[in-house]
Amino acid sequence: MAKIIYVEHEGIEHEVDVPDGWTVMQGAVTNGVPGIEAECGGSCSCGTCHVYVEGEQASLLPPPEDTENAMLDMVAAEVKPTSRLACQIKVTDALDGLIVRMPASQG
Amino acid sequence: MLSPQFRFDPYAAAVDADPFPFYKTLRDDFPCFWSADAKMWVLSRYDDIVRALNDWQTYSSAKGNLMDELPNRAGATLGTTDPPRHDRLRGLIQHAFNKRNLDYIESHIREAARDALAGFADKKSFDFVEDFSSKVTVKVLFRLLGLPPGDDHIVRDKAVLMVQSDPVTRQKGPEHIAAFEWVKNYAEKVIAERRANPGEDLISQFSLAEIDGDRLSEREVLLTTTTLIMAGIESLGGFMTMFALNLADHAEARRRCVDNPALLTDAIEESLRYNTSAQRFRRCLVKDTELHGQVMRAGEFVCLAYGSGNRDERRFANPDVYDIDRKPKGHLGFGGGVHACLGTAIARLATKLAFEELHKAIPDYRRVEETLPWMPSTTFRSPLRLELARA
Repeated sequence: MAKIIYVEHEGIEHEVDVPDGWTVMQGAVTNGVPGIEAECGGSCSCGTCHVYVEGEQASLLPPPEDTENAMLDMVAAEVKPTSRLACQIKVTDALDGLIVRMPASQG
Repeated sequence: MLSPQFRFDPYAAAVDADPFPFYKTLRDDFPCFWSADAKMWVLSRYDDIVRALNDWQTYSSAKGNLMDELPNRAGATLGTTDPPRHDRLRGLIQHAFNKRNLDYIESHIREAARDALAGFADKKSFDFVEDFSSKVTVKVLFRLLGLPPGDDHIVRDKAVLMVQSDPVTRQKGPEHIAAFEWVKNYAEKVIAERRANPGEDLISQFSLAEIDGDRLSEREVLLTTTTLIMAGIESLGGFMTMFALNLADHAEARRRCVDNPALLTDAIEESLRYNTSAQRFRRCLVKDTELHGQVMRAGEFVCLAYGSGNRDERRFANPDVYDIDRKPKGHLGFGGGVHACLGTAIARLATKLAFEELHKAIPDYRRVEETLPWMPSTTFRSPLRLELARA
């Protein structure tokens, strides 16, 4: 279990306890956090769960795989070095406190 | 646990007509219930269903996802494979269904709705299924998949038949299997034609696609295309019909949507929660799993009753009320997890635009029949006919 802090583009924060093994996307969708659409349900094929990761825990994330990088090329909002797809971030205890900010739009 | 008094039989006409009292008993008294009638476990609470949807390593789709599976389909479609294969298949198809790629189809949806409305402009009452939802759905889907016009009526009839089950024999009957075979043969011809003359359309791309350098198997191409036709036509049509039923039965909600069509968005989400047409899907256990004091064994099937999770008072306050102000986040009307419905964006868009057009022509309508002819299906729920009268 890790507390993930979701920050809407307008600045509204949502703290959610997400179980180990779930993805950051699942934690948001299941708890009704707005700003993550995840049209493909977490198959890394739609680019609508784009987030910017922050906080010291961000450095603990494994780098994106090729499929994630390919989808990041297709997201609607600006891509930054901190851009990730929330469906590809697996939650572990070590990520407790991870901050994910939503982009202006998912598409 | 022995429960001699209570049965949950998804083949029963009473469950087709009104599953909700059964769901309530399941949630309150038997949250992990062995249905001897369905020969599977039934999970009915919201949290349990969500947990299962998000745990494909335990609750596998590879042995099929329909309550009554069609022959030789499991393992060859999006809904009947697990990651990572599922994700690669979905990656080939998803782009055609993404919201941002659907702008082109808006005018076609409106046109399809207006054409259908013109067909019963002078009638005092009409069958929403036959006269409207079927016609709109088929035209939209044919456009989306790039299918050749002409066979649309018969394709629709077969797609609706193939998802049904025989309530007496408690399995797919010969007519349902024949309908499935018919749609499969139809898909086969379309695929062959596209391979000979490939275009930019989804089926052309999909039928020539490769995953990691391997071509998709013929079975994958054929059954995935067959399933897209089935799901597109039956599921979208069924959902639109349930939405019409809700707006006919809830005049105040309908009037508000007519006055302010932007509210259709919220009314659609609440309809997906309140009585989604996708009532029940199944999974197969990969390992022994204990839940609510019951041990479910590897290899046993588990029904995920989305329609029950959506009425779980542990998740939604006053769940039996159709409330368009609810904005029900996280509802299970499209399932969830990696198998969440592929067509969510087109379903929402087509329903909204179709009802905008419907309400311009017919702002007031009411249900004619008190008792509806419900489709005999263990998976889906919608009436076969919905007579509406202009009020």
